[in-house]
Amino acid sequence: MGEANEKAAQNTQEGNWDDYIKAYYEKPASFKSWSGYDLKEIYKPGDRPEENYEQNIADAGTYPYTRGIHSNMFRGRLWTKREVVGIGSPADTHERLKYLSQHGGSGLNTIADVTYEMGLDADHPWAVDEVGLTGVNITSIKDMETLTKDIPLDRVSWSLITASTASSVTMAQYVAVAQNAGYDVGILRGSIQNDPIHFRYCGFGPACPLDLSIKLGSDVMEYCTKNLPKWYYTTVNMYDLREQGITAPQEVGYGFGIAMCYIDELIRRGLDIDEFAPRFTFYVSCHVDIFEEVAKIRAARRMWARLMKEKYGAKNPKSMQFRFAVHTSGCSLVPQQPFNNMTRIAYQALAAVLGGVQSLHCCSYDEPMCLPTEKAHLQALRTQQILAYETGVTNVADPLGGSYYVESLTDKIEEEAFKVMKEVEDVGGMEEAIRTEWLDRQFESEAVQRQKELDNGGKLVVGVNVFTTEQEKTTPLGVQKISSKSAKQQVEAVRTLKQSRDTDRLNDAIKRLRDDTNDSKNVIPAMIEATRASGTTGELLGTVREVFGYPYDPMETIKSPFNF
Amino acid sequence: MSRGRKKRILIAKPGLDGHDRGVKVVARALRNAGMEVIYAGLHQTPLQIVSAAIDEDVDAIGLSILSGAHNTIFPKIMSFLKDRGASDILVFGGGTIPKKDLENLKSLGIGEIFTTGTDTRAIIDYLNTTLER
Repeated sequence: MGEANEKAAQNTQEGNWDDYIKAYYEKPASFKSWSGYDLKEIYKPGDRPEENYEQNIADAGTYPYTRGIHSNMFRGRLWTKREVVGIGSPADTHERLKYLSQHGGSGLNTIADVTYEMGLDADHPWAVDEVGLTGVNITSIKDMETLTKDIPLDRVSWSLITASTASSVTMAQYVAVAQNAGYDVGILRGSIQNDPIHFRYCGFGPACPLDLSIKLGSDVMEYCTKNLPKWYYTTVNMYDLREQGITAPQEVGYGFGIAMCYIDELIRRGLDIDEFAPRFTFYVSCHVDIFEEVAKIRAARRMWARLMKEKYGAKNPKSMQFRFAVHTSGCSLVPQQPFNNMTRIAYQALAAVLGGVQSLHCCSYDEPMCLPTEKAHLQALRTQQILAYETGVTNVADPLGGSYYVESLTDKIEEEAFKVMKEVEDVGGMEEAIRTEWLDRQFESEAVQRQKELDNGGKLVVGVNVFTTEQEKTTPLGVQKISSKSAKQQVEAVRTLKQSRDTDRLNDAIKRLRDDTNDSKNVIPAMIEATRASGTTGELLGTVREVFGYPYDPMETIKSPFNF
Repeated sequence: MSRGRKKRILIAKPGLDGHDRGVKVVARALRNAGMEVIYAGLHQTPLQIVSAAIDEDVDAIGLSILSGAHNTIFPKIMSFLKDRGASDILVFGGGTIPKKDLENLKSLGIGEIFTTGTDTRAIIDYLNTTLER
């Protein structure tokens, strides 16, 4: 036992009465919301401008949907309990999906690893060491077959988390497998993240040049609109933006800015807003300030409804409904005193549900250390189930609606988020904000600010800058191991596949993909054909990249194998 | 290192991992503490990092990995440093790294690993103390 531990043990035996007495009289150190807004000690009727209930709030299921998109919310259907899975090989990932399906999960949710997001095949020199560490790599149709084996694609709802330009290939791979299995693709239900624009901020710049991001992102959206009417073709990822350290209104403002880049492009292509907007969805963060997060979600719903109706002239109510999934905040979790993370996650999940979430992923307590172990994964799912079946939060739609505080905070977040959108407009719009790296600078300065708050105690985190103890073990339920054997097997399988394909069929399909890209056609049909011809992720994306004037390989290490 | 010279630190993200919020914050904090910081950016190969460290004549290399690839990538960097006769450069790191991996990483010669929730002053103190020895 170390010296510090001995001292701690002594303290426990003898009691630390001075601190104990001080704690008795303790007041909170701050009266600000997480995003930094000063709060009053109590909110009263006069704290809000005179309320026009029908116009600004309205019942759930009624424009502007402040209180929720369904009139009866969870009475009609519980949120989807959708834990993210992505680990090792497609076969390993498939096993974990089965495990969660046996324990009450209700939606499949698989995530790409860094190699797949970068658009690399498993046998790429940069990929071989990293395959399967942060998700799953689907290089070819064979991998997608393994991932989806024996799962009834016509009945499940599957969320495919590929965010980068590789989303286009993921969509093609999923559709190709469904077609080969004889399903009518029109009945496929689920979503794809498909938000390449934002993914440059997750370190995937080489895979996500802006023009290609808009092109391929919009191709997926357009293809699904016309062919997969039950599919949600994008989940604009406000969560990843928030994880950069920004505030709640910035999350909404920047997220909407990126969403509008896709919407503007689809309109430029001649689609009517009501033709595609009913399938637009978002990925939202729930950080640890419960009321602020609920207010943020309520504000986002009202803002989205008005934006769609007033700016884009939507007429279909479904186009105006802000549909969203929540990922509890990964960056709020710490390795110090790791079981505390379960409590943080539970509060964040509570905020999501009070906010009227459609689909929820709870982080596992070991998120700051490793991919979730089976036990940690199950515990995260159980957190959702306790909320759904024990706490009674599902009984009433928008239970915080009408609270002087929450309504006032909803107005505040809306006002601040509009200011953020105005700032973006003032620098020339979101595309310009990205091109000039204006947005990068906002993220960086907020991240520095958050670290300062942590260092100087402006924000307290138990176990980090308050109530610290000698750290014992960061992963009491074990550490998830990634089998290097299954990664090697996947790499080998890809190499074998590339030797054994019908090259004539593949070459024809790649030629068509190149021609379609050149002719500014939607590339998804050609990608599906190329996938069925055993074309791989790197090959499909590389072919499109070259037409756009980018190197075949985002890592600029290998050359195109197609010499025609 | 000789006294009086500013400490020169190379900060890099090896491999494909794109989580760079932490590494940028650390780079800024070290700079504010009076060190010369060279941020090599994302997607560096082990060899690129070692070459840059030698070319730039740095006192320390700070590596950040949140993708779980530390067990394969850190050893490569340590081995290239040894091959190039540059084992005197201090290597420290940070990221999503379970405690059970620390022993192995330290046995390779990595000085310290800082995980999420670290006060930036702890990193500054560590570098000031270790590099003055």
